[in-house]
Amino acid sequence: MELGLSKNYSDCNLVEWTLYEQVAVAAMDCQSLDVAKDCVNVLQKKFPESKRVGRLEAMLLEAKGSWGEAEKAYSSLLEDNPFDQVVHKRRVALVKAQGNLSGAIDLLNKYLETFMADHDAWRELAEIYISLQMYKQAAFCYEELILSQPTVPLYHLAYADVLYTLGGIENLLTAKKYYSITIDLTGGKNTRALFGICLCTSAITQLSKGRNKEDKDSPDLQSLASAALEKEYKRRASDKLSALTLAFKTLKVSS
Amino acid sequence: MAEDLVLDTAIRDWVLIPLTVVMILIGILRYFVSKLMQSQPTPDAKVVKEGQVVVRARNLRAGANFIPAKSFRARRAYFSNEENGLLHVPKGQGQNPQAQMFSDPNMAMDMMKKNLSMIIPQTLTFAWVNFFFSGFVAAKIPFPLTQRFRSMLQNGIDLSTVDVSYVSSRSWYFLNLFGLRGLFSLILGEENAMDDTQRMMQMGGFGFDPTKSDCYCVQRIALVY
Repeated sequence: MELGLSKNYSDCNLVEWTLYEQVAVAAMDCQSLDVAKDCVNVLQKKFPESKRVGRLEAMLLEAKGSWGEAEKAYSSLLEDNPFDQVVHKRRVALVKAQGNLSGAIDLLNKYLETFMADHDAWRELAEIYISLQMYKQAAFCYEELILSQPTVPLYHLAYADVLYTLGGIENLLTAKKYYSITIDLTGGKNTRALFGICLCTSAITQLSKGRNKEDKDSPDLQSLASAALEKEYKRRASDKLSALTLAFKTLKVSS
Repeated sequence: MAEDLVLDTAIRDWVLIPLTVVMILIGILRYFVSKLMQSQPTPDAKVVKEGQVVVRARNLRAGANFIPAKSFRARRAYFSNEENGLLHVPKGQGQNPQAQMFSDPNMAMDMMKKNLSMIIPQTLTFAWVNFFFSGFVAAKIPFPLTQRFRSMLQNGIDLSTVDVSYVSSRSWYFLNLFGLRGLFSLILGEENAMDDTQRMMQMGGFGFDPTKSDCYCVQRIALVY
C-alpha cells in the first residue's frame, strides 16, 4: 500500500498528504496499526505542529486501545480549540468504544446543545438510544433528522420503526403514515416499509377491536401493500412466497 | 462648438495605459497585502451556538409538515417560549452589532486595517495623478455631455470653450477606480479587497437594525405562523 503511494503520487504533492491521512484512517479501521503509524509519522515530519496530525495521533492511541492517553490527547486538543467538532465527536466515539453508553449519551447531549445543526450527531444519538431501548428519546432524534433532511427515506423509515415499537394506537397510526411516506419517497421499492404497513394495519385492527374503527383507507392500503409485497417476492425470492402467504394469513391480512 | 481636437497618440501611450496598468498592479498588491494581514477570527461560543440555533429553527419551519403536530408544537414552544425560549432575546440584551463591532477590539482592528488599506493607496494614486498628469486633455468621451460636468471632468484644463467631452486624466483615474472592479473579480476570484464601492455602500448604510436579533425575530415570527 505504501509503495504504491510513494511511486505514483509523488508528483501531485498537494493530494499526497490528504491521501496519507485517509490511508491512516483506513488502516486504523482495519486494525493494521503499523501502516497507520507509518503514515502518521510521515505526516508528523511534514507538519510538526498541526492540529490535524494531532488528531490522527490521538486516533491512533484510540485504535491501540490506550483509552486514558487518547482521552488526554483529545482534551488537550479541545483546550486549544473548543469548537473543533471532529474532536468532540471522536471523544464520544472513544467513550462509546469503552462500552460506556450512558457517558456517550451525556457527551453527545452536551455537544448537541452547542452544535445543534449537526445531523450526524443526532443520528448517532438515535442509534445509541435505540440500543438502550430509550425509544421516546430516539423518536425525538429521528424527528430532528427528518426536519433537517426530509427527503431521506431512511429517517422516515427508522422513525416509523421506533413508533411501531413504542406501540399504542396513536403511534401506530402515525407509524403507518411514515411507512407510507417512505414508500412514496422510494417509489414503492422499500420492502421493509411495505411490511411495516401490513403489520401496522393488523396491529391497529387488533387494538381497536372494541372501539369504532377509523379505517377510512386502511383496507385498500393494506391490500395494496400486501399485493406489492407478493409481487416483489415472486420476482426476487419466489421460494419464500409460500412463507409470505402463510404470514399474511396469520396476520389476517386481506389480500 | 464641436470642433475636433486631435489628441496626440503619445497621450494614449504614456498616460492612459500606464495609469490603468498602475491601478491594476496596486489593486493586486492590496489584495495580497490584505491576505497577509488577515487575522484568524476566533469563534465565540455564543456566536457559534446562535448560528446553529438559527439553522435548527429554520429547519423546523421548513420541515414542519413532516413531523407530528405534537412534536412541532413542543419544539416551537421550546424555541419561542416567553421566558426561556432559545430564540427569545430579552429586552435590552439584544446587542446592537454596531456597538459590538466597536467594542470588540479584534473586529475594530480588522475594520481599521481594511479602511486604511483602502484609503492610503487611493490617496497616493490620486495625488500622483494630479501631480504628473494634470493640465492637459487626456481623452475624449464618445458621447456628448452637458456643461454641468465641466467642473468634474475637466479639472486641470482652464479653457472654458473646450467641449466637455474632452476630459482630463483625473476623470480617467475615477473611471478606472470604479471600472476595474469587474476585472479584479475575474483575476483575483470572487472575494477580493477591491470591493471599495461595496464597502463604501456598507459604510453608508450603518444605521440598520441589529442583524442578530432581527434574524431571531424573523425565525420566531415565522415559527408562530
